[in-house]
Amino acid sequence: MSRNNKDTLKSYAWSAPSLMLIALMVVFPILYTGYISLTNMNVYHWFDFTIVGLSNYARALFVFDSGFLSALLATVLWTLVNMVLQLVIAFVLANLLNIKKLRFRKLCKTILMFPWAMPGYVGILLWKTGMFNTQFGLLNQWMEKLGLAAVRWLSSDVSAFISCTVVNLWLALPFMIMIMDGALQSIDRSYYESARLDGAGALARARYITIPAMRPIIAPAVIITVFTTFKQFDVVYLLTQQAGAKTGSGFHTILTYAYENAFITNNYGYSSAISVIIFVLLIVFSLKFQLKEDAA
Amino acid sequence: MKRIIPILLCACMLLTLTACGGRSADSAEAGKLVIWHDKEDAVIAALEACLSQAVPELEIVFEKKTSLTDSLKLVGNDPNAAPDLFLFAHDKVGVFAEMGILAPIEPLLEEGALENHLPMTLEAATYKETLYQLPLYFETLLFMYNRRYMQDEEVPATTEELYAYMEANTGRGRYGFVEQHSTAYYSAAWIHGFGGSIIDDAAVPFPNPQAVQDALKYHLKFVKLMPGETEYATVNTLFLEGKADATIGGPWMVPSARAAGIDLGIAPMPMVDTTGKALAPYSGVQGVHVLKYAAEKKTDAVKKLLTALTDPSVGTSLALASGCAPANALCYDDPQVAGDPLVQAMRATAEIAVPMPNIPEMDVMWTVVSNLLTDVNLSGKDIGESFQSALQQAESLIAGMQ
Amino acid sequence: MTKRKWKEGFGLTALNLFFLVLCFATLIPILYALSVSFSGSNSLLSSDFSFIPKDFTLDNYREVLFGEDITVWFRNTVFLALTTVLLSLTAAVPAAYCFSRRRFPGRRTILKCLVLLNSFPAILSMFAIYRLLRPMGLVNTRLGLILVYTGTMAVFSLWNTKGYFDTIPTEIEEAARMDGATDLQVVVRIVLPLAKPSIITTALQVLIYVWNEYIYATTFLTGESKYTLAAGLNALQATEMTGSWPVFAAAAITVSLPVLVIFFLCQKYMTSGLTAGGVKG
Repeated sequence: MSRNNKDTLKSYAWSAPSLMLIALMVVFPILYTGYISLTNMNVYHWFDFTIVGLSNYARALFVFDSGFLSALLATVLWTLVNMVLQLVIAFVLANLLNIKKLRFRKLCKTILMFPWAMPGYVGILLWKTGMFNTQFGLLNQWMEKLGLAAVRWLSSDVSAFISCTVVNLWLALPFMIMIMDGALQSIDRSYYESARLDGAGALARARYITIPAMRPIIAPAVIITVFTTFKQFDVVYLLTQQAGAKTGSGFHTILTYAYENAFITNNYGYSSAISVIIFVLLIVFSLKFQLKEDAA
Repeated sequence: MKRIIPILLCACMLLTLTACGGRSADSAEAGKLVIWHDKEDAVIAALEACLSQAVPELEIVFEKKTSLTDSLKLVGNDPNAAPDLFLFAHDKVGVFAEMGILAPIEPLLEEGALENHLPMTLEAATYKETLYQLPLYFETLLFMYNRRYMQDEEVPATTEELYAYMEANTGRGRYGFVEQHSTAYYSAAWIHGFGGSIIDDAAVPFPNPQAVQDALKYHLKFVKLMPGETEYATVNTLFLEGKADATIGGPWMVPSARAAGIDLGIAPMPMVDTTGKALAPYSGVQGVHVLKYAAEKKTDAVKKLLTALTDPSVGTSLALASGCAPANALCYDDPQVAGDPLVQAMRATAEIAVPMPNIPEMDVMWTVVSNLLTDVNLSGKDIGESFQSALQQAESLIAGMQ
Repeated sequence: MTKRKWKEGFGLTALNLFFLVLCFATLIPILYALSVSFSGSNSLLSSDFSFIPKDFTLDNYREVLFGEDITVWFRNTVFLALTTVLLSLTAAVPAAYCFSRRRFPGRRTILKCLVLLNSFPAILSMFAIYRLLRPMGLVNTRLGLILVYTGTMAVFSLWNTKGYFDTIPTEIEEAARMDGATDLQVVVRIVLPLAKPSIITTALQVLIYVWNEYIYATTFLTGESKYTLAAGLNALQATEMTGSWPVFAAAAITVSLPVLVIFFLCQKYMTSGLTAGGVKG
């Protein structure tokens, strides 16, 4: 065996546990979904399903009508808005939190992590009933105290979008702040000292030292968050689209749209085909995104 | 050394994988039956008490399962993960029967064991001429009012009277009447009151389109006098806090209303003036379903359990414990049950109530109808257009099931 | 000089005030839950809400702590969380090191694919995972759940640690290797201490994921004795008709507290940046 081959083998051997786990729990479900999408597995053929070829895909294309397109656009907008806000706010807060003279820094950091420490659905439920509820929500109680009319926060498309964004930021910021905070710790303080000696202002220091140094560290977490945001289901569904508690907003992400128009049919073949199509769409998007990154 | 570690790591993982893999084989002891449910503690406690008396030789485990139907769809008939029986409303009978995981009930019962059951409950639990559920009790929505604000003689007999009452008593944070106006389960009563229905036995959505649209149109003026929120928590709280005089709600609201010190009145559903029909809510029949493999592998235990559950004493104690209406007609001979106004009101409403459809297609209609209702009631869209798009969605979803 | 000091003091006060307001704003929904959890009447909603609970009571907490099998659930959760964190790191660190330091065929492709894999909507993964675990006899076992969790977090763990490794200068490692240290020694003695912030963030993320995950836990585990805290919490509010909001709120707060304590303790270890290490300048 040549040395090169041996090295490669060794690398794979060390990575094997991680890669194996990913293969089992991430890759296999995708492949299996692909397989199911070719079958007629549904309520009427639960155990005796057979391969029916691409007919599920042919039917799935009917779901991709204008409603789907607008959901897709809304999802892209949703991802953009959320990511930009998340990055900017987390960056500013993480930097401020690292000012040595801030009192109770540790306590502050811990308190800001609270939303993250709760199961997501609990947080969403608290927002929905505690804050946004038109009858009893704190927001409307405050509006009333200010002498303003009650607002139905979740019932129009735009205000539902904003409300969902607020809740999503509330849920997602703690993680982003923590990642950025961790990244900030890795930057050598001496860079700042020499920059200060050179007369660089706070903005210049952030631009020429902090951001370039943080970028590679936070990149993985950011990329993963982009996907999580794109795939976001819970926030939008639980706040506005939950069966029995719909609020009248027409804001759908592709996942909530697919859920209402396919997943509830109990037709696994058909739903799988939709999932695969969404998956392919996302890959196309992320490839575009990556190309831009490489070019930049 | 260097090469050993990764190999060790892999070996460790494989070992842990296989080590616990051997487990689980025969947990299927013949005398143990696992029952999934999603019911209140009071119901389960009453059932447990009855069964420990009637069949002490069986070990019966009730397991509360969140999202029971989703879990069942996942585990299907797997003896290692699925329960032996489950306690649920009758509206999923079609789905699970078509999936092929339910056992017919009648072969597991003695001849004539069901002859005292109310026919409505048996019909509700029958799918394609086979009974797939042993009905225990049923529930319907009821017209409830707070006697502190609405006097007995003010209780509206017709919907127009209700409207007049609402107009007179709504405003400044108070409501004359509230309901979950934009959810399918609640508004079905209005649709039925106009002679329409959500889906028929042949899986045709909205078989009488005009009636549905008439109902939506008529209902809209009531919605305007109700809060802009349709979920249970809001409606429930308004009524319990005494901010709403009357509501339409299920028997599950009664314990909390009593706890809140409300002098609760229960009345028949008002009649729609134009059609002469009363608002006819859906009724749900709660009962026990047997999974196929349990019926095959644990036949004796299952038979014993089901026989014990057909005894009228079970229904009686359920009715006394949590105010549900027993499926067995003999239970109503009990003076205490007969004297319970809640149980009696439900039994009376059951005469006009429509059992929820149990065909698999109904599954998607819940979403379709709530979309239609939110479009009309909350987003203020045109009724005709919203109806057409709902019909379209219903047809495409039903087609999508095949 | 005094003017500058005054200005600085003013800035600092503003900063402190800003964070005070921010922390309060963040906490509003949680204070809401806290107030509900201490209140006696059974309602999450109320038209005259105040942050100070009406008819203050500890009953809800008493019910949470003594009424349910919360100690069992707590033990289950701790076991699941710790095992998953340990397994995740054991799997991820060597792999991340390889992907960061070594160059081998397939490396770039795998890295790129890993990101893309993340874009699969997980709603349908559940069914496939069930089909995978069943033949292995892992349905309804803790080990099955641990595998699911570790696998779900594997991509993140690998990526996140690898990203940090990339930023650690190789000079120290090379120096150590010159002194005859083996790969393992280099990783354990040099890289890991330097990568502490990233290891801790990764571990925390995994821990919190497991701590709060309830969908797999409720579907794959049957029987209350196997429940995790999040699954038990979910069962508490499962049917809105019967759920008691104050008890639920009390449970939600109780479940979140341990995570916060861990977070508070971990912060100390996150502050060891590169300055503590070797290479300067």
